[in-house]
Amino acid sequence: MIRREQVAGRLALNAPLAVAVLTGFIRDAVETTATEGVVVGLSGGVDSALAAALAARALGPRRVHAFVLPYRISHPDSAADAQAVAEQLGIDWRVIDISPMVDPYFALEIPDGGAAAERRRGNKLARERMTILFDQAKKLGCLVLGTSNKTEILLGYSTVFGDNASSLNPLGDLYKQQVWQLAAHLELPPRVVAKKPSADLWPGQTDEDELGVTYAVADEVLYLLFDLGLRPAEVVDRGYEEAAVRRIVQLEQTNRYKRRLMLIARLSGSAINLDQEIPRD
Amino acid sequence: MSDIPSRLTVGLAQSDCRLGEVEANVERHLAWIERARQREVDLLVFPELSLTGYRLLHLTPRVALAANAAALDRLAAAAGPMAVVVGFVEEDRLGRLHNSAALLRHGHPAFVHRKLYLPTYGIFQEQRFLSTGRRLELAPLPWGRAGVLICEDMWHPELARRLALGGAKLLLVPSAAPGRIGGGDVPESAESWEVLTRSTALLNTCWVVYCNRVGWEEGSFYTGGSHIVRPGGELAERAPYLEEHLLIAEIDLRDADRLRWKLPLLADDRGDITGPEPAP
Repeated sequence: MIRREQVAGRLALNAPLAVAVLTGFIRDAVETTATEGVVVGLSGGVDSALAAALAARALGPRRVHAFVLPYRISHPDSAADAQAVAEQLGIDWRVIDISPMVDPYFALEIPDGGAAAERRRGNKLARERMTILFDQAKKLGCLVLGTSNKTEILLGYSTVFGDNASSLNPLGDLYKQQVWQLAAHLELPPRVVAKKPSADLWPGQTDEDELGVTYAVADEVLYLLFDLGLRPAEVVDRGYEEAAVRRIVQLEQTNRYKRRLMLIARLSGSAINLDQEIPRD
Repeated sequence: MSDIPSRLTVGLAQSDCRLGEVEANVERHLAWIERARQREVDLLVFPELSLTGYRLLHLTPRVALAANAAALDRLAAAAGPMAVVVGFVEEDRLGRLHNSAALLRHGHPAFVHRKLYLPTYGIFQEQRFLSTGRRLELAPLPWGRAGVLICEDMWHPELARRLALGGAKLLLVPSAAPGRIGGGDVPESAESWEVLTRSTALLNTCWVVYCNRVGWEEGSFYTGGSHIVRPGGELAERAPYLEEHLLIAEIDLRDADRLRWKLPLLADDRGDITGPEPAP
């Protein structure tokens, strides 16, 4: 049975082959839907940079439209890094400050203060960006390119109908380590590949602080649980910290609802998705 | 034996198709058939469910055809003297639906194989929507009889064995095998398939012609990498991965006989303890 020191190696991909497959995925989706291309929100982070890079390879840079959507307290490096990615890829990009859309709403609300307020605003930022991306997609005749990776999706580290909303997602079966691997392979700006992952929804936020585990551990534990089907105790036996494994299991279980949207109450014998599972392609 | 031609040119239409759009797929098939005829192919093999796409789910009944459907006759007519194997959802006389492959010859379907093993695990859901075939028979071809096995059928080696014992020197394997990749040079799923086709050809001392599709359905890709294996298990030809390709090669069924004289695995078969041979 697999030992801990073997797990990282198992996650390593044949990068050129993975890029060939994922660019094929994007090309097929755009051709099948007869759309003009894709829009993508560039955050300055590695996930959206990789998604944009794959799309630029798949479709040519002219069919990829990037949007940089900062809020007034976003870290200034985020927008700068996003622009560096767009420039390197040769794709067009536009900056839209979302503060004037978000702030008036919260001005109407009685502030609840503290972490809850930060989280609500963070979700609002993610959903505001989503509405802009879908609107721009409509305007440009494009699909919205998703940028959520497998680690985030399994841990539920996303905003429902916010950053997890998309028309197609080339990264959804890539763990964070694999995102980094492909980003390095495609020679994305080293700053973007090396920076500490952050949703940048409030100052000083980092993914790993919020999740309570490092991506290196989360990826390996998720791989053992989800891909190989080990039980939590069997993962702990391989030398992973019990608290970390418990945390990952708990996040995975409590966030499953985010992976299966549209919960429809079934009345007839032909309920959408339950009785009538029609492929979307 | 000598008056039966043993050499033929096979073509593998490693194609993509539109999920659930039979009309559009018939048009695509006509284009492949035309290309193959220009290259003087004798036997053209399409992938599994080539006329309908694979991941149909509740679309399955909407795309079903009877084996005497006009669409199949139209393809058969276009094929002229060429024999063609196409994949389709077949509705039988009792209204059951099958994952079938039809051999088209002389303007009509001459033979139909209904998939015997319907995978229903992992991403596969065939038993929810399709009925299993009931018979294993040999397909009549001008070069002798051939076996047709659809995708998962190949993973149950007794089928290939029985076909070989029944006289098949050639196994035709239409497939819609979804891809997986890891750290290796080729898709992991393709590696497994090649182990299977090569060992099947070796153990049954017969040719194996494996036609896998390409393209995407519901976020899952098909690998391609269609190939032809010689009776000793050596790879004769392989199409590229991930892209449409018409793979053409000449094969000689006498190669199977020549190997069988040296390697009498079939002659030594102990059918008396493993079961009877299939009806001719």
